[in-house]
Order: sequence, then structure tokens, then C-alpha cells
Amino acid sequence: MSIPAIGAVTGTGFTPYIAKTLPVDGATPASSLAGADALTGTTGAGAAGQAGGADFASMLSQGMESLQGLHSTADSLALKASTGDLNALHDYTIAATEASVATQLTTAVRNKALESFNEIMRMSV
Amino acid sequence: MGAFDMMHIAGSGLAMHQTWLDTLSYNISNVNTARPTSQNAFQAQYAIAQSVQAPDGSGEGVRTAGIALGDPQGRMVYAPDNPLADAKGYIRMPDIDLGSQMSQLIMAQRGFQAQTAVLKNAQDVYSSALSIGKSS
Repeated sequence: MSIPAIGAVTGTGFTPYIAKTLPVDGATPASSLAGADALTGTTGAGAAGQAGGADFASMLSQGMESLQGLHSTADSLALKASTGDLNALHDYTIAATEASVATQLTTAVRNKALESFNEIMRMSV
Repeated sequence: MGAFDMMHIAGSGLAMHQTWLDTLSYNISNVNTARPTSQNAFQAQYAIAQSVQAPDGSGEGVRTAGIALGDPQGRMVYAPDNPLADAKGYIRMPDIDLGSQMSQLIMAQRGFQAQTAVLKNAQDVYSSALSIGKSS
């Protein structure tokens, strides 16, 4: 990219939605069946659950870090805009939009996770 | 490929059009800049756009490959009143067609506006993707 600011933004690209780090054990129907078997006591269900939790936590913290990067880029561009050092207005508006969309995306992921957790908590055993 | 490629590509288009607008502004502001015949005439600047592709062939936008310069000879104009005129009364005026510059100005402005429309569209796309699965 020829625009340094946008290049910097690309460097901190927000990726967690690409479910690469997501495949938690039990995500596919076949392995969820295996998980059900585990619940009945054939294998260790706790281990699988812990691995999934760690995956999600690392994914979320990774997402937060890149989100922070996006916000700091937008902030520095806003500072440049207010001091008159910004040579392209769209650099700031694009970075700000990107940060805003990424924040919405992160909160959506967090809300979904919380929702499913609550759903599980409501399950009567 | 990132999640925000659509915006980055539109941003590269905005940058290129801004460079183009800058060159046009420079040319138009110097349309009456006279030089003595012993020097080169004012040379108009022309932004050269070039498409940018990733190694895998996917588009990454556009960039300004360089600035081409106009004719250094310019136009010889007989203006003996001008303080820069030579012994025969000639000065060098830039070889710029103002009409062409003004129509390019409109093209560049429309191109810039089209890029902002793309950006707005990208924002709508992202927000509709975010609303997937929302209960309300």
C-alpha cells in the first residue's frame, strides 16, 4: 500500500472473526456426539471443555489487542487532523470507521458468547 | 485478504484522486505563469494512475505511479509589455489547455465522489453483516 497510515492499519488487521482459531472441540456434529459420550463418562469431558475455553479466551484477547491497535491508529490520526498535520482526510475517516466497525464486531462476538453461556446455564439437568 | 479490504481499496482510490486534484489545482493556478524565453516554460503536471494487484491476482486498489510533466517549450507569446519579455518581445507561456484542465477537474471530482459512495456502501455491508442473528 502506498499510504503509510492505511498500511499501518492493515498491519493491525482485525482477524478474529475468521473462525481459524475457533474450531472448538464439539463444533462439528460428529465431535459433538463424541462430547455427549464424554458427558456420560466414557472420556474426560472437562479436558475438552477447558481446551475450548482457552481457545476462546486467547481469541478474544487477541481480538482486543488488534482492536486497541485500530483505536490507537484512529486516535493518532485524529490528533494529526486537529493539529493540521493530516494530509489526507480520508485516512482518518477510514481508520475511524474501521475502529468503530471492529468494536461493534467484538461486542457482537462477546454478546453471542455470553448469550450461549446463559443458555447453557439455564439448561435444567 | 482482510476484513476491511473494500475500505482500503476505496481509500487508495481516494488518495489517487486527491493527487490528481492536487495536480489539476497546481496546473490551473499556474495557467498564466509567464517565464522568460531563456528558461523552460511552466510544465503542467499529470498524475499517472496504476492499478495495484496482489501476487495472487486479487485487486488491491490503485496508486499514483508518477507525475508526468508537460511540454517545457510552452507557447511563445508576443508580449513586449511584459517585464520578462526578451529583446524580440516574446515570453514563454505554459502549454496548458484550461478547458481540458477544467473537464479533468470534474472527472477527478466525480471519481472522488464515486469512491466515497463505495465507502458508504462498504459501511452498510459491514453493518448488515453485523446484524445477522440479532434477535430484535
